[in-house]
Amino acid sequence: MAKLVRKLTKSNEFYLLLVIIAVSIVIQLRSGQFFSANNLVDLANAMVVPGIFAVGAFMVLVAGGIDVSFPALASLSVYATTRVLVDAGYSGGVWLPFLLVIVVGAILGAFNGLFTSRFVVPVLIITLGTASVFSGVMQGVFKSVQIPNLPQGMSDFGRSTLFVATNPESGLTSNMPMAFLILVAVVAVAFVVMRYTTFGRGLYAIGGDESAAARAGFKVRKIKFWLFVIVGIIASLAGLVRTSMMDQMHPTNLLGMELMVIAAVVLGGASITGGTGTLTGTMLGTLLIVIVQNSMILVGIPTFWQGFALGTLILVGTGISAVQLTRSRKRAPALVQG
Amino acid sequence: MKQRRFAGLAIGLVAVVGLGLAGCSADADTSTASGEDAYTIVIVPKDSTNPWFVRMEEGVNKFAADSGNDVYQKGPAETDATLQVQVIQDLIAQGVDAIGVVPVDPGALETVLKQAMDAGIVVVTHEGASQENTMYDIEAFNNTQYGAFIMDNLAEAMGEEGTYATMVGHVTNASHNEWADGAVARQAEAYPNMTLLAAEPRVESQDDGEVAYQAAKELLKKYPEVTGIVGTSSFDAPGVARAIEELGLTGKVFVSGTGMPAANKSILEKGLVKTLTLWDPADAGYALASLAEQILDGEDIADGVNLGVTGYENMTFAEGSDKVLEGNGWVVIDKDNVDSFGF
Repeated sequence: MAKLVRKLTKSNEFYLLLVIIAVSIVIQLRSGQFFSANNLVDLANAMVVPGIFAVGAFMVLVAGGIDVSFPALASLSVYATTRVLVDAGYSGGVWLPFLLVIVVGAILGAFNGLFTSRFVVPVLIITLGTASVFSGVMQGVFKSVQIPNLPQGMSDFGRSTLFVATNPESGLTSNMPMAFLILVAVVAVAFVVMRYTTFGRGLYAIGGDESAAARAGFKVRKIKFWLFVIVGIIASLAGLVRTSMMDQMHPTNLLGMELMVIAAVVLGGASITGGTGTLTGTMLGTLLIVIVQNSMILVGIPTFWQGFALGTLILVGTGISAVQLTRSRKRAPALVQG
Repeated sequence: MKQRRFAGLAIGLVAVVGLGLAGCSADADTSTASGEDAYTIVIVPKDSTNPWFVRMEEGVNKFAADSGNDVYQKGPAETDATLQVQVIQDLIAQGVDAIGVVPVDPGALETVLKQAMDAGIVVVTHEGASQENTMYDIEAFNNTQYGAFIMDNLAEAMGEEGTYATMVGHVTNASHNEWADGAVARQAEAYPNMTLLAAEPRVESQDDGEVAYQAAKELLKKYPEVTGIVGTSSFDAPGVARAIEELGLTGKVFVSGTGMPAANKSILEKGLVKTLTLWDPADAGYALASLAEQILDGEDIADGVNLGVTGYENMTFAEGSDKVLEGNGWVVIDKDNVDSFGF
């Protein structure tokens, strides 16, 4: 028991969880609605897209890079898919859109992977470039415009719900989207991959020290290439979920999300220089940001101050984990955490 | 060039005959063609493929048919200030009579528009209130009045009573906030049974349908008394409508705002939103060409100038400006006319 407590108090996730609980209580006290069933469902709903993105950003961050191209990648693959299906008059199920975005996402991810695995240029710089290429292709080649009517399958998927939560007092209802299952699935698969596969352990090793990883026998180039293929697929899934749930394709909707997602992952304890971080932390970090972003009006923070409040939270949150991290580093040399 | 003149003359003659025939029914104020000489008037949009400007071209072509002048639209292949400059330079070289521009970036066009004016070409602009080198700029409407119009639509849906809040893209966006201010002012003046939500008078949608949806859900959870939201950005109404539907408040909470017809067809047809407001680019294109022709005819452009299309029949100068003309060229979209716009 004492051992567990010691382990807990050393972990970043524990502090993050405390912050989340504290924030939740504050919101509950101010609004009286935080713990109502439909508010919790709303938060889960809002968590889906950033959550899926965060898994991808986390994997890249662990391998020691910062990927800023995933929103553009997702926009392009979903736009291309939707455009083609709408033009073809596709009216079948959602499986084909899913299949197509996965294929397109993997190809675009491979494009990222080709550069990042061959060139000794920081991932940040490469993905800044590919992000512009992706959105350029979307705007130039596909002449992107808003697509108001989605294929029936996507539209139905966006509307399908697991259950409906009703607030007994106000009678308001909130839907738990089916897409939440996609988040759960992505997290579950990523968890297994990161923890139990050579590929996943390789990502930690490369992020810790690339040349050491190569000497230890990891095929660095291959791992990096496939990392970006996987991240391309994950990002495209998030894009498809967002588009289906909005019930229209808005090509620029996702652009600009990258910084908030990266902030969430770093808030979750992943080191910006790579090699450390956990999926649990990533999810908690994303949850915290989603809670705060979606509770500003509940708490009653005036519009003009919302950016300020969110920024402060990120600073305080990362600050706490930074302090905690430096303390533990002083005590022991950094270890690869899993 | 000579050939063009001859062609122009021929078109002019046709116009004279046409006018003669139509003369009996034509309203004196709206007669536009001079009949003596046909002008070449070219409208330069931001982008020739964007559905908005494809729609504008319909108005331009209609004016060509109505006036008998050589009026057409020619824009860059994509929204790019440099490409737009090239299009205008080509037109100067061709010696057209008038150019009507919808500037991509007013600052980037100053030089080339000055060249055009120096070459004796009539230059007018649309949605370029800050343009220096233009004879006149026309705006579809005055922002405050448009806001009042949005409020009228919301008030009708709400039965002229209840609490409402306003939503803007960003609190720093000038036109959205002028619309919202206009809406609030209109409510204060005309709808005594409505109140602005004091605790959260203006929320941001960040020009994002998803944020609009989440913010509306929060707003409606926190303040159950709210029964109306004044939307401004074109993402506001669809996002808020999604929240209204999910929360089970259809028919109890209403939203109004700006929106493009095709993008909002389904929410209008489902009755989640009763009306949306918009200005029709076809009308603006017509009015722009009409203004150029009146200048070419040497007519005095003053307050009350009539550009011959609904909403632009009584243009007035914006406060403190002798260049910017404002109309009241807004239109209402509802489920009955949503298909009639083509964009």
